[in-house]
Amino acid sequence: MMSQTAAHALAETTVVDTDVHITVEEEMIAKYLEEPHRSSITDSPHPMFPSSSWDQRMGGKIDDYFSEFTGPEDIRQFQEDFQIDYPIINTFEPLGKFSQPDLAMSLMRAYNDLLLDKFLDDYDFLGLGAVATQRPEEAAAEIDRIGDNEQIVGLYLGTSGEYPPLGDPSNDPIYKAAEDHDLPIVFHGNGEEFMFDFPLHNKGFNNYFEVQSLGHPWQQMATMASVIGEGVPAKFPDLDFVFLEAGIGWVPYLMHRMNKIYRMRRSEVPLLDQSPEEYIRDRFYIGSQPLGEPNRSEDMKRMIETLGADMLMFATDYPHWDFDHLEELDKYLQHYFTEEERQKILYETPVEAFRLPFQQ
Amino acid sequence: MSEHTVATVSELEDGDRKLIEIEGREIALFRLDGEFRAYTNWCIHQGGPACEGSITGTSDAEFDRDELQTELQWSKEGEVLNCPWHGWEYDIPTGDCLSKEGAKLPSHPVRVEDGDVVVSL
Ligand code: FES
Repeated sequence: MMSQTAAHALAETTVVDTDVHITVEEEMIAKYLEEPHRSSITDSPHPMFPSSSWDQRMGGKIDDYFSEFTGPEDIRQFQEDFQIDYPIINTFEPLGKFSQPDLAMSLMRAYNDLLLDKFLDDYDFLGLGAVATQRPEEAAAEIDRIGDNEQIVGLYLGTSGEYPPLGDPSNDPIYKAAEDHDLPIVFHGNGEEFMFDFPLHNKGFNNYFEVQSLGHPWQQMATMASVIGEGVPAKFPDLDFVFLEAGIGWVPYLMHRMNKIYRMRRSEVPLLDQSPEEYIRDRFYIGSQPLGEPNRSEDMKRMIETLGADMLMFATDYPHWDFDHLEELDKYLQHYFTEEERQKILYETPVEAFRLPFQQ
Repeated sequence: MSEHTVATVSELEDGDRKLIEIEGREIALFRLDGEFRAYTNWCIHQGGPACEGSITGTSDAEFDRDELQTELQWSKEGEVLNCPWHGWEYDIPTGDCLSKEGAKLPSHPVRVEDGDVVVSL
């Protein structure tokens, strides 16, 4: 149910959702793996996908929508229920956490094969190619393999468990390949994987409130600081970057802070020939979810203004348990912003960020 | 205001609920301690189907400053409705949202007449 005016405005607007996760069961991904990794998943006595043991859904107070979100028809149903015209789908699993590099590489290829086979080849969906960074040259070869497919519109990197931090020059082959194929790099934060990057805090915090408050922004801030600090945008001037799943409030904070530190320590980062803010405003895009909930709605208006309609894009994160409905962002857009700005955020900015093959 | 017979009294036991559609609106009827309450199935957070969520209790806490002890209690068992989308909690007897002060589920008058439950919209 929604108000008539809101429903009307939505019907007139084309909406791109930049973060939709398909659920891939272990048995399903096993089918796309070679041995020994296939049996490692199906027959191993130890769990392949480690769990942090936090109870994210609070004993069932929050429903499980993801277990059943496994096929193309589920995406179609979601589009209908949530008024999403173009969902950009990804296979979710953050691959940085895997200690065995050969397993991580096999999983990367398997997720991409599954994405192509089950979702892209027979449907017109748009998807992100999975990238594992444990062996950057192999990851670059994978980008070459899938990167020319028109329905692959970006490269998906989890920002949890990645070592060294993602701006490290060892990852340059990945950025180079992404630039060669004109695909943006999409960084995605994760809650469950907080334990890999922040094991002491994971152990020390007593409830998931604390982990969820910090997990995604810490990962995304570490990634943005590393990428800028190592000069990745200067080395690859045609490469764009997308950050998903940490909301938006952290961006002005870090951007302004990095400006200050850049001016103090310019000689440490001589590859940068612009302020961090200029790189971010020109080439970085931010997904809205999970949008913060200020007690005064004008605070969100100012936050959205600070990012601007050229940087902000809508994301649901469906079917995960902290997803945002479109109205969560749209109530601010409709109330405080012009129709042109709203159209940009919901459609034109993601079309530009992901070079989507539609008319603007 | 329109009146609608939505159930018979004997149809619902304590702790039960019934989802109904009246004039295109989704309404949930709850029975608790012999009393009936009717709320719109619309979460004030993001419009999720709040009335379809699990019915549980919730945690309360008290801090003893002298002993430096926090005591947790499980309370309101069977009286807390959890929106299935993001877990916002509502108190079934009053419709009050426990997650955001001052917020409520929209409620509708209910009366029992000749063994029927009648909701006014
Ligand atoms: S819509 Fe009900 S908790 Fe979010």
